[in-house]
Amino acid sequence: MSHAVGDMLPPFTIESVSPQAMQQWAVFLADPNPIHLDVEVVKAKGLGDRVINQGPINVAYMMNMLMRAFPGGRIKAMDSRFLDNVYGGDRAVVTGKIAAIEGNAVTCEFSLDVDGRGTVNSGTATVET
Amino acid sequence: MSDLDDLPPAPDAAGTSLDGEKVFTITAEENAALCRSTGIEPAADGSAHPIYYYIATQVAMGKTVAGVCEACEFDVEDGPMMGSSGVRFDAPLKVGENYRVTGEILSLVRKRSRKLGVMDVLTYRLRLHMLDGTQVLETDNVWVLPRKEFAA
Repeated sequence: MSHAVGDMLPPFTIESVSPQAMQQWAVFLADPNPIHLDVEVVKAKGLGDRVINQGPINVAYMMNMLMRAFPGGRIKAMDSRFLDNVYGGDRAVVTGKIAAIEGNAVTCEFSLDVDGRGTVNSGTATVET
Repeated sequence: MSDLDDLPPAPDAAGTSLDGEKVFTITAEENAALCRSTGIEPAADGSAHPIYYYIATQVAMGKTVAGVCEACEFDVEDGPMMGSSGVRFDAPLKVGENYRVTGEILSLVRKRSRKLGVMDVLTYRLRLHMLDGTQVLETDNVWVLPRKEFAA
């Protein structure tokens, strides 16, 4: 498959961010921070009225977009910035484009946006194709 | 004169070892559950989801999240926030492979922000190795530690 600088990558969409997945990730991460598990704690801390997705899940969504865009490719490097929270029930969409190509290394820029609040994560990655 | 001159310096946490003793193994069952929790199926070639770069290094580093905060004289209950995360892979992560972690705190820098007030910016580096010492990846994470005690 050929690629060109400026090509848009197929979006990856999570229709509704899952509070049940947050419970699983509390185990995966060995980190039972209640802001990911208990909406009453989120409210008490003044952080909103829904549980907050663990940051690494958002990174995983962005990785999923890259892996779908480059089947058989391998992420060699990735940098992510956390700009805002993703909440349970959010519709989250990862979009991206090709920023550079050098040999079989494709550098991409991407962002994770949620409906109504815009970009909550952004990043760059190099994928070996 | 700096706008931080009225504040004590950030704790001297740079150099704190995060070397771990635990062996971390990515199981097929957990990898499958993790992949499905993010909306994809697990790979059929034995590779694990690359987000295990973050999970394996966090779980098997030498301190808990609360312990890292404590090294920075910060109470984890005050809400550390992820600022950024970077990773460089030398090899793909594999289901069934055993890994160990080395690492250290690189810096803790006190800053003042319009949005968060006084905060300490923590940067730490972790490396994931196979048990024979071969490095698989290196990751740098940045956390923001809001210092509510210095709120105006």
